[in-house]
Amino acid sequence: MSQNHNIVEAAEDLIHEHFELEPSLEQVIWINPDKTTEIRILEVNPETPPTGSVLSFHFPPYDKFPYRMKIAEITPEEWERILRHEIPLPNGWTLDNYKVYSRETVTI
Amino acid sequence: MTAWQNWQAAFLKQARSDWDAYQKTTELEWPNCQRLHYLQMVTEKLSKAFLVAGDTKLENLTGSHAAFVKFIRIMSGNKNLQIALGMKKSQQKAKFNALLPLAREIELLAPALAQGGPNPEYPWEDPSGIILAPADYSFPLMQRLQKTPQGIQLLKYIEIFQKRFEELFM
Repeated sequence: MSQNHNIVEAAEDLIHEHFELEPSLEQVIWINPDKTTEIRILEVNPETPPTGSVLSFHFPPYDKFPYRMKIAEITPEEWERILRHEIPLPNGWTLDNYKVYSRETVTI
Repeated sequence: MTAWQNWQAAFLKQARSDWDAYQKTTELEWPNCQRLHYLQMVTEKLSKAFLVAGDTKLENLTGSHAAFVKFIRIMSGNKNLQIALGMKKSQQKAKFNALLPLAREIELLAPALAQGGPNPEYPWEDPSGIILAPADYSFPLMQRLQKTPQGIQLLKYIEIFQKRFEELFM
């Protein structure tokens, strides 16, 4: 099994779990999924307080999840503004490559 | 150490220093405004220790005080923490969700977010036109933090997060 396959599995398991746990989660955006050592996630949730910025929290790898994780919660409106380049992504993050997951596309 | 690690260590050190100051205000029975001022600063810097390592732009960190509620929301689904605290994932989610209203109240203590209302640093005018100094205000939030299960739990987690930061998050 390749490293890339492992990270895809880990990220998608995590996304699945977050949809399961958070009823108001509308979409999860996996930013730059080509990265092989870290997972960058935007969670689109209308219940998170809007800040007009992307506040991404860092969590280091651990035994059962051997990838660095960076995760931010944004509102649907903030996601629209990110797509229009009105809100910048965190340093080093780009919109060149991303995957969108919704409740409909993730089997819960 | 890399630049972000240096920033993270600095935010963590300041959060711990603010926590020590908060603890001292407890011992000396300082006014609630001083105690809450230190507590708000602990939560802001602790949250920012995670943000600065998450590629968050420095100008977003220094220009904003709204980080603690997002921090608690993100922590509610963190698996490593779930393992460390020995909780089931649904238990952890429910427990942290119950802390959000108090976390929001702490976050709103920052004068920039208080919208001209009660805050622990600057005087404000109440709806009846009376000018109040923080030192003269009772801050019912302090009671809720000390006397309700959610308040006690939230203070416990704030202590755990900063004291066990290296073990849990590095």
